[in-house]
Amino acid sequence: MKMFVALAVFLTVNSAFASTRLVLNWKPEAEFGGFYAALLSGAYEKEGLKVEILPGGVGTPAVQMVASGQAEYGISSADEVVLSQDRGADVVGLYAVYQTNPHGFMFSAEKKWTKVSEVLEAPGLLAVQKGLPYFLFLEKTVGKARAKVVPYLGGISQIAENPQLVQQCFVTSEPILAEKKGLKVKTVLVAEAGFNPYTTLVVVRRSFAEKNKEKVAAFKRAIDSGWKQYLANPEEANRRMHVLNPSMDMETLSKSAEIQKTLIETPETKTAGMGSMTDARWATIASQIQTTGLVKKVKPSAEYQWK
Amino acid sequence: MAAYSLPFVALVFFLGGWEIAYDLGWVSPYLVAAPSQVAVSLVRDRAELWPAFVATSLCAIAGFVLSACSGVFVAVALYSFQWARFAFYPYAVVLQTVPIVAIAPLLVIWFGFGAPTVIASAALACLFPIIMSTLNGLGATGPELKDLFRLYRSSKKDRLFKLLLPMALPEILTGLRIASGLAVIGAIVGEFVGGGGLGSVVDAARTQQRLDVVFAAVFLASTLGGLSVLGIDLVNWVVLRRWNPRVQKE
Repeated sequence: MKMFVALAVFLTVNSAFASTRLVLNWKPEAEFGGFYAALLSGAYEKEGLKVEILPGGVGTPAVQMVASGQAEYGISSADEVVLSQDRGADVVGLYAVYQTNPHGFMFSAEKKWTKVSEVLEAPGLLAVQKGLPYFLFLEKTVGKARAKVVPYLGGISQIAENPQLVQQCFVTSEPILAEKKGLKVKTVLVAEAGFNPYTTLVVVRRSFAEKNKEKVAAFKRAIDSGWKQYLANPEEANRRMHVLNPSMDMETLSKSAEIQKTLIETPETKTAGMGSMTDARWATIASQIQTTGLVKKVKPSAEYQWK
Repeated sequence: MAAYSLPFVALVFFLGGWEIAYDLGWVSPYLVAAPSQVAVSLVRDRAELWPAFVATSLCAIAGFVLSACSGVFVAVALYSFQWARFAFYPYAVVLQTVPIVAIAPLLVIWFGFGAPTVIASAALACLFPIIMSTLNGLGATGPELKDLFRLYRSSKKDRLFKLLLPMALPEILTGLRIASGLAVIGAIVGEFVGGGGLGSVVDAARTQQRLDVVFAAVFLASTLGGLSVLGIDLVNWVVLRRWNPRVQKE
């Protein structure tokens, strides 16, 4: 009997202090700086939360982990949320860090391209992760790539090996690494062609949010505070991320943090607040995903987000 | 009879249980596709899946043949020259532990995108089982037969082609059987980085959360592996039944 009581007490205490898990979809980099800043500044604790950040890697199924309850929150993008809901996952967007999507194409600075259409019309090699909605959308709306499309292997090894190759990138990351290697590169944002889903989007299970409204609101306040701190002073969070991901040195993290400011803070966020989302943006992205043929039906915008 | 019918009964139970669990909502649709959805995908997405199946098959076969020829050649060289065996055998043992997934991105740099990388990946994945099994087989010939060949003063070439290699055939074919399945795995790993084939289909479909297509491609890859093993078993049966006295006895 005593053992059962002890076990019950242990389980109660343990669940009271159980971690809230935030699973990232990539290794610690500046795009996640605000979440680490919240951790280091005690923003989660101030809201009564004990948060554990789970770093990701290649192919980390963050959305599926959230949908299946292996994590309470995850990092995703608006296009992935539209896809996931179509496949039956109960996930919604909670806080959109990147208001402007940082996906882009990176190429040699010798080239005079300023538009996505010019990139797609060029011959040669184009390294992209096959199947990503943005590329399907571009091929449907801008035109098929003239270059031979090859798998994107991550990082900058491909363009370092062949400077004439064009590769996908996060404008906040790979161009900085390329310049450090002495490569002269330029970028064009995919958003330039009209495909601009929210990215580094914090997602949560709708059923979890409905049952834990106050906890979710507290988490949102904590990450908002973390991001404000990171934008003002990224140094401390960068140090932590450098320890967790030594391939990102302090200088690169610092430059990334600076570059991403304009993608996070936009005229819209100045009025609606950081991380905010609009029905119109969700409607646009859902309709664009439908254009690619990856989903047959789209839902009302309210169903893709938690407000 | 049970040996033939039981696998089918087990399969029916497994697939039936899987389908029922899916229909009852015991498994989430975003984590697993139902067998019926996979079957539908095999037909509906045939324009995407079947050319990929052919591409993977051709690369796996090319890698396998390349490995079979070079593996047997290397094993004969290691067996024939003691200095070569002492010098390279330990490294051959260590090299087989190198995970193909880890070196696959390097293959792209060395061989470029497309089929050359996929073939190289398939060949590397199955090279070492062939070397090891051939070496074992070459060493398995009984001393009385070796003495007999020596008594007749047969040449080294005759001893190799008329005694050692025929007697090693069971081990060589066992190695080829293991290697044939590994060639498919190697090809698909190669396709993840080199592009094309079923590996590329799995990669794209996973990104798009099209689980039915992922499972259909995995099913085709497994079928390819199974067919490869069956093919080697057939060769094993046809060849060894006539040639090898050890098998005749069995």
